[in-house]
Amino acid sequence: MILSIIAYLSIVLFLGISVYKAYQFAGMPFHGRMDLYPVPKEKGYEHGGSYYEETAWWSKPHEVSHMREIIEMLKEIIFIKKLFENQRPFWWISYALHLGIYLIMAWTILLVIGAMFELNGILVAADSSSILGLLVFYLSIVTGYIGLALGALGSGMLFLRRAFDNTLKKYTTPQEYFNLLLIFVALITGIFTWGNDLSFGYAREVTGNLVTFTPFVADGLLTLHVVLVGIMLTYIPISKMSHYVGKYFTFHKVLWDNNPNLKGSGVEQQVKNAASFRPTTSWSAPHIKPPVAPEK
Amino acid sequence: MLDQKDLRPKDMGRSDEQLIKLDNLIPLLAPYDKPGMESPLTDPKPAWKEKYCTSLDGYIGIDTLTRPKTKEEEDEFVRKFLSGLEKIFSDANNGVLQPLLLSFEYCAKCNTCSDACHIYTAAGNNELYRPIYRSEVLRKIVKKYFTTSGKLLGGFVGADIDVNWETIARLGELAYRCNLCRRCAQTCPLGLDNAILTKEIRKIFSQEMGIAPTPLHTKGTMLQIKTGSSTGLSKPAFLDTLEFLEEDTEEKFGIKLKFPVDKKGADILVLHNAGEFMAWPENPVAFAILFDAAGLNWTLSSEIMGYDSVNYGLWYDDVQAKKIATMQMKVAKDFGVKRLVVAECGHAHKASMITADRMGTDRLPVESCLPLLWDMVKSKRLILDPSKNNFPVTLHDPCNVVRQMGIVEPQRNVLKAICPQFREMTPHGVDNYCCGGGSGFAIMNSANFPEFRTQVASRVKFNQILGAFKGTMEDTSTPKYICAPCSNCKGAMRGLLEHYDATEKYNLQYGGLVELMVNALVSLKKPFLEFLE
Repeated sequence: MILSIIAYLSIVLFLGISVYKAYQFAGMPFHGRMDLYPVPKEKGYEHGGSYYEETAWWSKPHEVSHMREIIEMLKEIIFIKKLFENQRPFWWISYALHLGIYLIMAWTILLVIGAMFELNGILVAADSSSILGLLVFYLSIVTGYIGLALGALGSGMLFLRRAFDNTLKKYTTPQEYFNLLLIFVALITGIFTWGNDLSFGYAREVTGNLVTFTPFVADGLLTLHVVLVGIMLTYIPISKMSHYVGKYFTFHKVLWDNNPNLKGSGVEQQVKNAASFRPTTSWSAPHIKPPVAPEK
Repeated sequence: MLDQKDLRPKDMGRSDEQLIKLDNLIPLLAPYDKPGMESPLTDPKPAWKEKYCTSLDGYIGIDTLTRPKTKEEEDEFVRKFLSGLEKIFSDANNGVLQPLLLSFEYCAKCNTCSDACHIYTAAGNNELYRPIYRSEVLRKIVKKYFTTSGKLLGGFVGADIDVNWETIARLGELAYRCNLCRRCAQTCPLGLDNAILTKEIRKIFSQEMGIAPTPLHTKGTMLQIKTGSSTGLSKPAFLDTLEFLEEDTEEKFGIKLKFPVDKKGADILVLHNAGEFMAWPENPVAFAILFDAAGLNWTLSSEIMGYDSVNYGLWYDDVQAKKIATMQMKVAKDFGVKRLVVAECGHAHKASMITADRMGTDRLPVESCLPLLWDMVKSKRLILDPSKNNFPVTLHDPCNVVRQMGIVEPQRNVLKAICPQFREMTPHGVDNYCCGGGSGFAIMNSANFPEFRTQVASRVKFNQILGAFKGTMEDTSTPKYICAPCSNCKGAMRGLLEHYDATEKYNLQYGGLVELMVNALVSLKKPFLEFLE
């Protein structure tokens, strides 16, 4: 029962804190422009161009492709494109971790689906007569095996690389080693917990019990694994590993935001709103401080 | 002194007389690859060590940053910095808060940005200039003083730096070892921008501590706000200069040029960097010839703030930037023109079209001269003969105009149309490197800073130029032209060519885009470019 609460609570906290962080960033004050080209939505994306390449640009429609922006975002999210292009050796291990995490997320969802199927009488096994049962069975195996292996390998390799690379270790704080180690240990305990049953039948059974708050006997390793995953899920969004939240804003709201302040535009309204704000703090340099009134 | 390879961010507070010494610059390409072609880097003078902060790398970027005389002064310096540091995360800094927090919080320290930096590369991958080095020092100080985790957990979260006068002064100097070109931000997998953090350090020094390089502040923005131009050019002097240029143009080229000044009913107000009138007057002359030839209804303004497009605030002080941008826009609006056209000045492009874009409403439209110039060529409003420019030409991409505004093709299209021997440098376009003069470096000439600019910051650019002209350098009868459509970039080129004696030795020339266009005008009887005479 306690493990069920940990499982539910950590997922709720993971999602809740992540959403709260996004909400906080979204609610931050309107900022100045910091566009950096190429900007994917621009017509001249291929050469890094913008609407400023046109004469009298303000009188012409700003042609943008949101689809291209979404595609570029997806390339970044799914493949970590910039790291692939600019630092290939690091990409291999970083991508192993990230792909591992994506697959483990998919595997977790498949375990829940599989558990639900079994509770409803659909067999999830190699000899299942249900196509859906077979599909979930094999997909769980593929995502589980590869996800756990890549995730553990990636986090372990990243830890080692940071520890032994002369440059990286100068910039890595103990907390950053801890972050990687936490993921690594959570995944390794997972491998030992679920590894005894390569069909993941045991994992599905435990998942079913957790999801339905059904009491069951958990050994020490399983308990440790669930607790560690719970800590990891709660810790990730409060640490800088929540860059999955920040990344949307850095690209979409900073580097790729080049909407001009034209009359009647939404930007104009935001500029007006920002201009009416009176800061509570002020700078102190002599050229900024208002002149002191002369003594009478 | 440390070996740069062993340097760590927390070493900024060490008591060494000088943290590192530059000794491993990347080699220059031919013909500058032979021994003796380059003077060795120098040590700071003993007197400078006593007065300024030479304890970073021996160079002095901030000539107003002087050593304290008492312990009280030292403590006050640190206190002021910490006070400013706190403010960058407050509502006093709303205009940059979101981008700042994102870049501050999320760096994964993957080091992908390092290879993108021309200063780090030029200095032989020197640890001190690694883009995240400076950011990490800043993070450590913030964590130590302003985060609960830093106060409770200290070194575990990275709050392990000694903060004293030396730490802060070195960090201030280090903020002037970055050109703010943002090339590193292009490569960051998380979209983070070290230049934001660098500029915030500069801002704390200026906006809170009142410390900024004299050419940027006292002789820059302050002078501009007082006199209308950072050159100190007054209205009568400006009008005299125009008159002189008109006479000179007639004498040299037989063209009866008349600069339209304060012309009522003009469509376009052209904004030049006033430095052009003093250092490269052929540039505004070329603009005038072209705009007249194309039949544009344009004017210059002689009002205070109306004849100088510069805005040095962009590099170190948001308050100054806003003051200048607001004053410039007011002059233009009072004038009654339909639009502003920014001439060949990169940071003025960005200041008036990007930075100032969200500083007020009901703004006059502002556009770059580059699409307009291409339009003149494309529409054949100018009758041009490319054979007049039949010598090797390469194009430098000013970071502010290209990487930070996306104006990439118009200037290339012009060169492709009028320069038969045009060749790109590698890399080019939005991936091009900074000239080394960006963010104020081009005008910072105190003490030994020009040496850093020329031999370190501009080093990669010089190699790009040498690479673009490979095979033609030794042919001194053929001029090689670096087209740099930006005043600051031209300043950096001037320093570079003078230092390496490249014009004298190899006939390496530099200038803007409009000079090449005027040179190609069929109607012009003699070359506009002096080196062709």
